Amino acid sequence: MSETLLEVTNLRTRYKTDDGNIFPVDDISFRVKKGQTLGIVGESGCGKSQTALSIMRLIQKPGEIVSGDVQFKGESLLKKTEDEMRDILGNQMAMIFQEPMTSLNPVYTIGDQIEESIRLHQKGLTNLQIKNKAIDMLKLVGIPAADKRYHEYPHQLSGGMRQRVMIAMAMSCTPQLLIADEPTTALDVTIQAQILDLMRKVQKEFQAGMILITHDLGVVAEMCQDVIVMYAGKIVEYGTVEDIFYRPKHPYTKGLLDSIPHFETGSRMKQLNTIPGLVPSLYNLPVGCRFQERCKFAQEDCRRAEPNLENLRGIHKVACYHPVQSEGGN
Amino acid sequence: MSSETPLLKVENVVKHFPIHGGLFSRQVASVKAVSDISFELKRGETLGLVGESGCGKSTLGRCLIRLIEPTSGKIIFKGEDITHVDDNRMRDLRRKMQIIFQDPYASLNPRMTIGAILEEPLIIHNLYPVEKERAERVQELIKLVGLRPEHLSRYPHEFSGGQRQRVGIARALAVNPEIIICDEPVSALDVSIQAQVINLLMELQQKLGLTYIFIAHDLKVVEHVSTKVAVMYLGQIVEFAEADELYKNPLHPYTKALLSAIPIPDPKPRPERIILTGDVPSPIAPPPGCYFNPRCPMASVECTQIKPELEEKSPGHFARCIKVPATI
Ligand SMILES: Nc1ncnc2c1ncn2[C@@H]1O[C@H](COP(=O)(O)OP(=O)(O)OP(=O)(O)O)[C@@H](O)[C@H]1O
Ligand SMILES: Nc1ncnc2c1ncn2[C@@H]1O[C@H](COP(=O)(O)OP(=O)(O)OP(=O)(O)O)[C@@H](O)[C@H]1O
Ligand code: SF4
Ligand SMILES: [Mg+2]
Ligand SMILES: [Mg+2]
Repeated sequence: MSETLLEVTNLRTRYKTDDGNIFPVDDISFRVKKGQTLGIVGESGCGKSQTALSIMRLIQKPGEIVSGDVQFKGESLLKKTEDEMRDILGNQMAMIFQEPMTSLNPVYTIGDQIEESIRLHQKGLTNLQIKNKAIDMLKLVGIPAADKRYHEYPHQLSGGMRQRVMIAMAMSCTPQLLIADEPTTALDVTIQAQILDLMRKVQKEFQAGMILITHDLGVVAEMCQDVIVMYAGKIVEYGTVEDIFYRPKHPYTKGLLDSIPHFETGSRMKQLNTIPGLVPSLYNLPVGCRFQERCKFAQEDCRRAEPNLENLRGIHKVACYHPVQSEGGN
Repeated sequence: MSSETPLLKVENVVKHFPIHGGLFSRQVASVKAVSDISFELKRGETLGLVGESGCGKSTLGRCLIRLIEPTSGKIIFKGEDITHVDDNRMRDLRRKMQIIFQDPYASLNPRMTIGAILEEPLIIHNLYPVEKERAERVQELIKLVGLRPEHLSRYPHEFSGGQRQRVGIARALAVNPEIIICDEPVSALDVSIQAQVINLLMELQQKLGLTYIFIAHDLKVVEHVSTKVAVMYLGQIVEFAEADELYKNPLHPYTKALLSAIPIPDPKPRPERIILTGDVPSPIAPPPGCYFNPRCPMASVECTQIKPELEEKSPGHFARCIKVPATI
């Protein structure tokens, strides 16, 4: 049950640019178990997508993974050949991107595209078996009139339906690990609820592990068991969903939670809590803690050296010299 | 003007976009973007306008200040019917009616400095004709939105999304408007930055006595800032009430589904959740009967036959659904 599927250790990804070297993924370690969903949250540009791409070895030049390891089912992905990697990406790992239009091919029908992905990954099926399986997948993801929609092109579908087609394609190879990068950000809430519900069902059916990248803390609370909070390329807090929401320790995590408007009568029209200031540029990081300029707890020590990710209770970890004393205790 | 006179009164506003096609580019169909919208807004109030993508929120917002000409209906601003006033009069009126756009990246001219962007509306409306006074007004505006005078010589690309949205707000405020249409002003921003911009808008409302129409698809944000809320579906208002009442006692099945679909930032398991099936229908060919019927968990045969009216179900609380009993 609690078998480790993916283990990332001290992963670093570097970009060499004219303006200097940056590390959008800076010493990242985490673990995903079978049937479990890990959420990655953080502000725009903090390295969520780069982390996902690094795991799948899809980083493009001038970027490269410079150290650390990614173990999938006990084997290092960084040691695989390109051919082996392609095989794994189609058969055992699947990715759902934020904008389905960029990952669906506009000149083929959605039926053709799902068939293609089934044909590639499941050898020895007849054409009819492939077609039936493709239609089954479309039905599974809740496409109405699947046998008709099968012949349509991506532009003929709504955003929500395209996202469902993407999920159908990702699922058609029964992956063991699903990486979803903001799968519902472009969608409306009612459609989002539909897609998340679907992802949960499909995941349960296949007992797949999942990495869910989002900036919506509500989505994290509903979908994830474990959560990583990233800030400027680093993990600043890591814990179970209860650790993060009920016992946040990093001032940034606390600030994020506090700035969400809540449905409480009485809080209306009041000033919201904010995190003042801006995320530092990766090209110009301060000495010491990366959050210091926006942090109300910052002291001298925060400006001297970068805090390490320290163990608290269970899997809960925080990188901060002056962690928040939350009500729940820890 | 007594405090009871509405600042803005909207009567049966309709907007259809023609679709042309065929041999002679004849009109073959139309997108029914906005159908029969009516409401009133008093000075100092904020109307939250929510609904799914494509339901007509932006189109309605633009019709109200005639950036788009409504197909029919009436818009009355401070007692004056502005639906058909000429361009000259409309230019004057736009001083009083401003808009802030969703995309802080696209809505600022990349080749103009922030100072020039803020000065432009003052020149267009011939306000502060003396250059020195105009420069002072620009300085005042940049400080009003929490930026610094040294930012005035910079270009939009040198700013973050939240800062650009502040510039957009300062530009709207330049001409001393009375009402501002905020079209998804925070949707493109990270939560921590969202909160900064929302606070600023609320603060300015109090300081300057502004009236807002606040368009968003995020019901949490809308509840936080609004005094009244209108929920739109496929071009129609399906529910309208005071904000407190609407959130405490939603009547329309679509509003209930919307509220229930919001992910709540609390890992406690939640009991029931309404998950709608199917997709948003097309505004070119809306379904017969109630527009929501193909997705509605409460729909019955009558719902595919009767077009429901927006009815006052309890005092001040309107809903467009035949299944919701009226209690007045
Ligand atoms: N090709 C590249 N060259 C240089 N820097 C890059 C490149 N691609 C990404 N980066 C940098 O890596 C950092 C992390 O980017 P990433 O896309 O992972 O952010 P993210 O957390 O996914 O943000 P968002 O929420 O906006 O999707 C950013 O600061 C970005 O500028
Ligand atoms: N100029 C136009 N010509 C034709 N159709 C249009 C035009 N502008 C908008 N529409 C259509 O009118 C409908 C309402 O669009 P509108 O932009 O008002 O929706 P919205 O509620 O603001 O959506 P979003 O949340 O995505 O911004 C949509 O179906 C849209 O495609
Ligand atoms: S280490 Fe210091 S600056 Fe960084 S988050 Fe903790 S208290 Fe704030
Ligand atoms: Mg990303
Ligand atoms: Mg819009």
